[in-house]
Amino acid sequence: MMMKKFMAVMSAAAIATAALTGCGSGSQGGSGGSKEAANVPTEPFGDTIKYDPGVSVNDGKDISIELWEWGSDELFQQVIDGYCAIHPNVSIKLVNNPWEDYWTKLPLALDGSNGPALFNVHNSYHENLINYMAPLEIPLEDLEADFTGVEAHVIDGKVYYIDYGMMTGSVYYNKDMWEAAGLTDADIPKTWDEMREVAKKLTIREGDKLIQAGLNFNDDFHQNYLLGLNYQLGENLFLEDGRTPNVTSDAMKQVMQMLVDMYKVDGVGSENFGEKGPDSFGQGQSAMVIQWGHFYNTLNTTWTDINFGVFEIPTFDGNPYAYNRYNGESTFGINKNAAADQQAVAQDFVKYFLANDEAQVAFNLAMSTFPAKKSLADNEQIMQNPSLSVLAEHIDRYIWPGPMPSTVETSLKTAGQDIFFNGVDIDTALAAAQENIIRDMKSSSFQSVEHLYKYAK
Amino acid sequence: MRRKVYTITLNVILLLLGIITVYPFVWMLFSSFKVNKEIMALEQHLLPQAFTVENYINMNARFNFMRFFANSLLVTIVITLAVIYTSTICGFVLSKYKFKGRELLFGFVLCTMMIPWCVTIIPKYSMIQKFGWLDSYKALVIPAMFSGFGIFNMKQHIATLPDEILEAARIDGANEFYIFHRIIFPMAKNGISSIAIFQFLWAWEDYLWPYLIISTKEKQLLAVGLKMFSGQYSTDYGALFAATAISIIPVLLIYLIFQKQFIAGVASAAVKG
Amino acid sequence: MFTKSHPLQSKSEILLRNIVVIGMVLFFGIFLIIPIAIAFAGSFHEWNPLSGTYRFLGIDNYKEVITNSLFWTSLWNTVIFSVVVIIFRVGLGLAIAYAIHSALVKYKSFFRSVFYMPVVTPMVAVAFVWKFMYNPQIGTINQILGLDINWLMNPKTALAAVIIMTIWKDFGYAVVMFMAGLFSLPADALEAAKVDGANAWQNFRYITFPLLKPMTLFVTITSIISYIQAYVQILIMTEGGPGTATYLSSYIIYDEAFVKYNFGYASALSFVLFVITAGFTWLSFRVSGTEE
Repeated sequence: MMMKKFMAVMSAAAIATAALTGCGSGSQGGSGGSKEAANVPTEPFGDTIKYDPGVSVNDGKDISIELWEWGSDELFQQVIDGYCAIHPNVSIKLVNNPWEDYWTKLPLALDGSNGPALFNVHNSYHENLINYMAPLEIPLEDLEADFTGVEAHVIDGKVYYIDYGMMTGSVYYNKDMWEAAGLTDADIPKTWDEMREVAKKLTIREGDKLIQAGLNFNDDFHQNYLLGLNYQLGENLFLEDGRTPNVTSDAMKQVMQMLVDMYKVDGVGSENFGEKGPDSFGQGQSAMVIQWGHFYNTLNTTWTDINFGVFEIPTFDGNPYAYNRYNGESTFGINKNAAADQQAVAQDFVKYFLANDEAQVAFNLAMSTFPAKKSLADNEQIMQNPSLSVLAEHIDRYIWPGPMPSTVETSLKTAGQDIFFNGVDIDTALAAAQENIIRDMKSSSFQSVEHLYKYAK
Repeated sequence: MRRKVYTITLNVILLLLGIITVYPFVWMLFSSFKVNKEIMALEQHLLPQAFTVENYINMNARFNFMRFFANSLLVTIVITLAVIYTSTICGFVLSKYKFKGRELLFGFVLCTMMIPWCVTIIPKYSMIQKFGWLDSYKALVIPAMFSGFGIFNMKQHIATLPDEILEAARIDGANEFYIFHRIIFPMAKNGISSIAIFQFLWAWEDYLWPYLIISTKEKQLLAVGLKMFSGQYSTDYGALFAATAISIIPVLLIYLIFQKQFIAGVASAAVKG
Repeated sequence: MFTKSHPLQSKSEILLRNIVVIGMVLFFGIFLIIPIAIAFAGSFHEWNPLSGTYRFLGIDNYKEVITNSLFWTSLWNTVIFSVVVIIFRVGLGLAIAYAIHSALVKYKSFFRSVFYMPVVTPMVAVAFVWKFMYNPQIGTINQILGLDINWLMNPKTALAAVIIMTIWKDFGYAVVMFMAGLFSLPADALEAAKVDGANAWQNFRYITFPLLKPMTLFVTITSIISYIQAYVQILIMTEGGPGTATYLSSYIIYDEAFVKYNFGYASALSFVLFVITAGFTWLSFRVSGTEE
């Protein structure tokens, strides 16, 4: 009796499953048939790197490759549609993985023979990917002529990927709170001392209870302060050998101390007030946060009620060695284990992507990154984005340390949490972070590229 | 009178515990009808202020949720059926047959239950890669076909069935395959139910293995799909909660259908063990 | 345990036996023994599949495990976590099962199903929900209790918060298991006690509980095995923080293996953890005194 029921349920479920699986979505990678068969370019375009739509790909024979990415399908699909409109014989299938899964699965997939020919790269995972990547066929001089920051990506004379955009931190402030505190545009701080004063004015307390934080750096202080402000004080993140971390430097201690003072002495915020700085800003609970460019998009999609402005990150003395660390958003990687014909298409696609200004602007706007393509530095659309326009003036004064292993960030996060929550003193916590980073980097091949910075000492 | 007081107190306590147990679900369910801004808003209300079904629509449009759901159901059912079959047949042989090395084999099965996932998962992954099974359901189903826990349970359970029935069937000339499929299998229904529930839950919830194995989005499973709502910079909570609300349903159904047999099956495995 | 043997084993019996034994040996050989051997060998190597490194290190990985203070912190956390969760799971499970089972409660299967709900919910989702509920400003828990505690970031409360969530998720399993145990108790033993005039507590203490011992052991052992391997709640709720206050051993292994790709070191950690699990399991058998 019971077995019958059991079998009935199981088989009914199995049939239902089969039916559902059968009629699920088909392949989502659109080939040539893009919705708007808009103006397909026929003339070569680009600056130094030129893309000639007249040259056929794979001798015009049908070919299909995969492009792996995380995040925004539409953005990638646009470029793919544009490319496939020129080359209807090519079909590129998008495979989307969530951010964290992506980094577990991509390296493992590339290790096999069926990995994707093209994949989106984030330089924080450089080491896990670089062994699987084929160098770009575009001549180095051409890349350098069109894009900034290419030198930092050169490995033994070859380039595997470059940055299409640079992301860094700026101060986001709540304009309504700013006004309510009686502040005007003239009060926009240039130095950290001014910043701390403004933050005090923006803080609201009822007795001992914090109602509104003037500044909130919870959860991401390591990203936005510890790994960046050291440069303002003239100190690199790595010593001259390019491998030994420099997180116990006086500069680092000074920055850490400033963070502690802002909460404990100035009382402009609290480690227990607003779990995450950016959320707290969005909730209308904190008046200022330092965030990287992506926050601009978050504000425009999730926190639509917040009336915000952006200003450049303050400095200690108005004349910093570098304003902040930046990080690049990378161009695609090409899988060196993919079949030769697939690789050829992948190379062609990357060239198309680099030469295509429209795609470059779209990607930079979507990510809120400052274009690495030199000809786009004063692009109108880019300048309309306040998180990018504030960077324009000193964009060459931002430094990239290279694709740091994630342990640098996580170890400093742990150190900060130890200081704020576990009562550890600054020296001990930073020493522990130093030790931890050294241990985790033992088998890493990372070399800092801080010496390639334009104003490197 | 005292009995009445006891009854009321006891029921009230249980009801309170029940509310504590259910509250997070209620919160999640209501939140699945809120926009992300409201989920994270300072002003918290249990009921959605601006009711929206966007999350449910998004979830399916962006993450092809029903597809994951169907995949999970398929894989979980296949694994569960396979484990039921192998556990029952192994349990039968281990409990009713006498042969050299039987105790050793059973002891070994017991040991397998104690090995943490982390010991074997790395080499297992490399092996699957060598077999060329990556991104296929083979890699999910085949390494899960036998379960130490299942064999242990079924052995305990079948041991409680009287030998006389087997003897009688043998005298009637039935062969062992007939005896197993037609006599033992139906008689072991309680044990089978308990394994079905456990195994279904484990396979349904398993995260790390399918996450490592499956890369094509169309083949992905639900438990992994839930993590897709975490992006690089933020998490789509509304869609996550909507997805979770739906993902609980099948397991709850399986439980409700089999709970009577489950209880009896669990009892026979552990109490007489 | 004694099985009546019949003098002549039939052909089909031998065939079935051989199929099953060979199947089991093959399966566990391929998917368990060989991987364990590979992992064991790997634990003596610097092993990173991404850079293709596989270099003999001797016992260096083990030395590093032993000397790594974070590992010992995490182990201590794991012990606290497991012991507390198991005590509550077993205690609450037993108490609630006994209460539901008693003649005083009417809607038995309703309560049973309610308490079982968290058990069938994926941990990933549950952990997100609870993370919200623990939020210091907008979380339900502070709002209801009228407190202002940063649960997941205070080193005094963070592990406790994770423990409470885990108990909430898992106690229903114990309820159902103990109900199953109670359900199958011999009615005559309980009847006899009633006739003797034992009160409810005596009844439980001297009759019911001893009879439930095998079930208690079963729940305890399956719990030990699963809690020593727990990491998903940490991954989502605290990432080991604040500082390193909530690191659990399995979380380190996950981190080393699938974030840092130190397969060799992760394997060494796994074996140490395995030995410890086995030790605890053995201990609980000893304590319960029911070695067969």
